[in-house]
Amino acid sequence: MGELTSYSLSDFILFSDKVYYRQFELYNHADWPLHLIAIIFSLVIIYTFWKKPAAAWSGWLIAVLLSLSWLWVAWAFLYARFYQIHVVANWYALGFVLQAGLITWYGVIKNQFRFTGESGARINVGLGLLFISLIIYPFIALMTGRNWLQFEMFFLAPDPTALATIAILVLYKAYSMLYVIPITWLLISGVTLIVM
Amino acid sequence: MKYRNKWSRRRFLQAAALSAGGLISPKFISAKSGSFLTKPIPSSGERIPVIGLGSSRTFNVGNDPLGLENVTEVMHHFFNAGGKLIDSSPMYGSSQAAIGYGLNKLAKIKDVFSADKVWTWEADNGPAQMEQSRQHWQVDSFDLMQVHNLVSWQQHFKTLFSMKQHGKLRYVGISTSHGRRHDELEEIMKSHPLDFVQCSYNILNREAEQKLLPLAKKRGIAVIINRPFQRGDLFDELDGKPLPTWAKTIGCNTWSQFLLKFIFSHPSVTCAIPATTRVEHVKENMLACTGPLPNQAMRNSMIDYVEKVI
Repeated sequence: MGELTSYSLSDFILFSDKVYYRQFELYNHADWPLHLIAIIFSLVIIYTFWKKPAAAWSGWLIAVLLSLSWLWVAWAFLYARFYQIHVVANWYALGFVLQAGLITWYGVIKNQFRFTGESGARINVGLGLLFISLIIYPFIALMTGRNWLQFEMFFLAPDPTALATIAILVLYKAYSMLYVIPITWLLISGVTLIVM
Repeated sequence: MKYRNKWSRRRFLQAAALSAGGLISPKFISAKSGSFLTKPIPSSGERIPVIGLGSSRTFNVGNDPLGLENVTEVMHHFFNAGGKLIDSSPMYGSSQAAIGYGLNKLAKIKDVFSADKVWTWEADNGPAQMEQSRQHWQVDSFDLMQVHNLVSWQQHFKTLFSMKQHGKLRYVGISTSHGRRHDELEEIMKSHPLDFVQCSYNILNREAEQKLLPLAKKRGIAVIINRPFQRGDLFDELDGKPLPTWAKTIGCNTWSQFLLKFIFSHPSVTCAIPATTRVEHVKENMLACTGPLPNQAMRNSMIDYVEKVI
């Protein structure tokens, strides 16, 4: 394992940005009309938090949607597609499965996603992140001059799913361990985008 | 983003390649003009072209139909220009499968000189990994198998030399890159009957000249050079700089040809393996396989010129 120290990060990012974003284009082509489910999930989350944030079932329902999203991204994108071009993507998929399990345990089984009703900076940050992940993120491809078919959506793509999860964890003041994997993923993804 | 910029920079460099001044002297040239350059593998005498094709990053296209057609087109022009050796590794994602796709489509499975690598820290997994690689390539067996980046080389060598002894492999080699672990590689070259060694070397990174290349010559080990352009960084350094007019005397009209000729004109180097996704680039690179070879005097002039213009 000493040989690992002789590698740099770019030694493991052995794909171009063109190939990386093509994966999303092919994925979107292949998985249509699952995008409709993604839109429904997003609208349910928005509506639930907007109209019934303190309801006993509110956090539970959102946790169910989050768990399903992490599981789907793990299988349909990270393992089935990204692993074709990135040798460690299967480990990413395992991480996403683990996060789905954690959300299921704390949010679904133990129903610990509770909105406390407080306002202030934390809520504003959570709402801001939610807005970016659910509404803005799908348009980033177009905004950055790429093919619009390379869009990334919550429930289907890892980055907006991780970001939306952090937003919900902030809003529902969830158990801090649940932040670890989404934050780690966003760091990995950010570094990957820089190194590509 | 960087790769797309490199393409336009390459075109600019091509256009700016002609300039006034410089030295033109036929005494700096060796080898006949017009001949297709090949070099022998010392252990067998088999000759291979001085330019092969790398597949790190460039062939890693997944199952993208457009990507697979593109790499097939690159391979088509590579073979058409006389190319033979293609190098890959399990580390390069889906590159091996893309190579197999192209070889099958072009009916070149029997013609390719297949150079692959074994890359697993668990030596027991080596045979299974190599078999999976063989299936990706769709070849009956590999010509050359290299231990990638010296990973668990002691154990893998046992497997590879046994395979060679039983006729399942023609050549055994080892690879490194970025100048990593040259001291250890040197010791391995001294103590094992290698057919090939692969390392990085180019006009600005000449560390291999100190020990590895002379040792390879002494031990009769063929040398494959990876990262001949430092993954495009050399083009960034030479951006906007004109070629010397005397570059034409060795058949070089572009910086890529100039840089490649410097590399394989070293007496110890057998071939270089530039990687590309562009048909224009592979055609341009393969043109360096023809024309005169610079001798040591001109090689010195090439170094001096590049170090002066950068």
